[in-house]
Amino acid sequence: MQAKHLVLHGIAIKKHATVDEVAGITGLDRDAVQQIVDDAVAAGRVQQAGDKVMLAPAAQMALTGEYRKAFSGLREDDGFLAAYQDFEKINVDLKQVITEWQTMTVGGEQVPNDHSDSEYDDAVIDKLGDVHERVEGVLDRLAAKLPRLSIYKNKLLTALEKAEDGDTAWVSDARTESYHTVWFELHEDLLRITGNKRSE
Amino acid sequence: MNEPRWTVILDGSAPPPRERIGGKAWSIARMRSLDLPVPPAFVVTTEACAAYQAEGDLPPGLTDELAAGVAWLEECTDRTFGSGPSPLLISVRSGAAISMPGMMDTILNLGINETTMAALATEAGDERFARDTYRRFHELYAGIVLKLPDPDLDPDSEPAAWRASIEQSAPQGVPQDVREQLAAAVRAVFDSWQSRRAKRYRKHHDIPDDLGTAVTVQAMVFGNLDDTSGTGVLFTRDPLTGERKPYGEYLARAQGEDVVSGRFTPQRIEELATALPAIHDQLMQAGDTLEAENGDIQDIEFTVQHGTLYLLQSRTAKRAPAAAVRAAVEMAVEGRINRQQVLERVTASQARSLLKPHLAEGVADRAETLATGQGASPGVGVGIVVTDSDEAERRHAAGEAVVLARATTSPDDVHGMLSATAVVTEQGGSTSHAAVVGRSLGLPCVVGCGDASVTTLAGRTVTVDGAAGAIYAGALDVVIPDERADKRLAQLLTWAAEASPLAVYRPEDAPADTNILDLDRIEGGEDPERLAELLAGHTAARGGAIASDEGVAAALIAGLTFIVADPTLPPLLAAIAAGNGPNESRPTPESQSQGRR
Repeated sequence: MQAKHLVLHGIAIKKHATVDEVAGITGLDRDAVQQIVDDAVAAGRVQQAGDKVMLAPAAQMALTGEYRKAFSGLREDDGFLAAYQDFEKINVDLKQVITEWQTMTVGGEQVPNDHSDSEYDDAVIDKLGDVHERVEGVLDRLAAKLPRLSIYKNKLLTALEKAEDGDTAWVSDARTESYHTVWFELHEDLLRITGNKRSE
Repeated sequence: MNEPRWTVILDGSAPPPRERIGGKAWSIARMRSLDLPVPPAFVVTTEACAAYQAEGDLPPGLTDELAAGVAWLEECTDRTFGSGPSPLLISVRSGAAISMPGMMDTILNLGINETTMAALATEAGDERFARDTYRRFHELYAGIVLKLPDPDLDPDSEPAAWRASIEQSAPQGVPQDVREQLAAAVRAVFDSWQSRRAKRYRKHHDIPDDLGTAVTVQAMVFGNLDDTSGTGVLFTRDPLTGERKPYGEYLARAQGEDVVSGRFTPQRIEELATALPAIHDQLMQAGDTLEAENGDIQDIEFTVQHGTLYLLQSRTAKRAPAAAVRAAVEMAVEGRINRQQVLERVTASQARSLLKPHLAEGVADRAETLATGQGASPGVGVGIVVTDSDEAERRHAAGEAVVLARATTSPDDVHGMLSATAVVTEQGGSTSHAAVVGRSLGLPCVVGCGDASVTTLAGRTVTVDGAAGAIYAGALDVVIPDERADKRLAQLLTWAAEASPLAVYRPEDAPADTNILDLDRIEGGEDPERLAELLAGHTAARGGAIASDEGVAAALIAGLTFIVADPTLPPLLAAIAAGNGPNESRPTPESQSQGRR
């Protein structure tokens, strides 16, 4: 994918993002991203709101066509697709762990986890670590075919280690690059690459 | 045989120190010393782990000692390892003196192979159970020992197909020789000592690298062998209300997985008194012993095998906020715990949750229900329904209360959710994006209401009850609970006020002669992180974020004489917690755990 398309792709995944965040998720140089964003804003493909940018509807459509060209090889690559299928299976377990993080079962009923029980929380973070160990090998297989995907492995490990160190916002907080936020973006990226749709 | 060097049989005699056998084996030993019935077990010591790390292999003599330990389990259970007619299956667990993340998960049902699967099917008269046991062991072994990323096997396939699918990713496969299975599991425990997480945790908490982990090997017991067998869970008090009466369930002729799977509907624990009265009495006594010993509500997993009771696990029970308050106050009255323990046990956030606004009694029955779904995040939100996140953000900024209704949500909608009093969706369950984000924001949320059920409500004023999973027409009456009206909360309030290092007044009781800083009137007063600077130089404060945990901590640091809040119980409990010093995560001893969960 060319840099100018990769920037649009990065914005599409982050939805509302700063130039720094787009650079972070695409692995492109910040100044290069700024230049491409400025050009795209001038051309009406990207809208700017404060320090955040988002895609204009026309750019969304153009990107779909671009994916068909850029990812046609990966969409027929058995190794990549097998790794993607493994990711989807682990995704089911990740969602379960996030649910356990946010709710606990008390006497058979679901109640919100108020995070007053550090032993419970530590056990869930430990399960997140189990998921991470399983997904690491899958991410290596994906990155072997598309090297920029290794960015997610680093971001996931960063979030996991912050959570392990006791900063629990890094598990699922939607406002930070928490483990769940990064995982969701990775999933979004893979869906766009493979041309699949998200199933709830 | 000589005195064992690397293993210890947990036969009820005085146990070796925790450092040598790990927390799990130590708690088995402790339960045995209280005369509580636990399945027989032996432990491979942390010294064997140290030797393994030094030499890169199991130390000489350990293989023989494993065989001797297994022989002891065979003798206790009258079962045989690796053969019929009553095959012995065992569980293998890691267990260091200090619990840490990244250690190996439990392997259950080790000892099953083609031969013992057939024997177990005959013994239990249940072929499906034997096959499930075989499959579950293969999944655990493939995931934990062979480290396959996705070890799940298709329950409808044949054992040969399961083995082939494992061997496709890991050619060495799962050994049929049960002694090889055991040796490989012990190695996997020792290897997990060097996992990224375990190493990192030790470094972070200054735990020596040569402490080592022990390996607990315990006989599995079966609740599905005959009509005098069964399995269940006992809470020593009701975990929803805190009432002191046994609460739990029992399922005759079943394994623990059957209770969890929902394949069968368990009976109430009271039914056990009719079916197996002696077992029921023994269980109640054991529950009381464990509650007294641990000073808190216990959640006990048990199995009855051939008319013999076994306790699999006892741990402190998870509880709803109401149960936390009632059980703590009543245990103090009973003399089981002291007041200080009560105040440490009930958290500010539990008190906040109990005192959270909820719908007035009966109004929901009289209201028109517009849609129902799965309650994914509790709380009540009232507002005008909007279906677009940008619109939600705009109208919120203009001062309107909005409820965001979407078919589903995606990261596109987070800014809309941040602007809403509640979020409702048409598709998705408790793990959908809306549910996950709603809980993370503490936002009332109802999901999966059905196609065209909520987006069609655009423009209407509705009330969303995130706990009940319902959307009602109009703005319903919301009740704000009174902490002084409930007798247990009132008791707790009295104790908390005596113990708190910070005085908290209700608005009508605040001293009139003091100048009170009103954070509602100050820019940034709602931001807990800015309170330290804003409070400096003042003697009292109200409003803004003052009643939050962070606000109370800032008030203590700033040396305020008092704060004003309503309700007062949450900040009082927060002040007591903050006054007891930083409650950061520190290494905790292993809890008792021999169970399946």
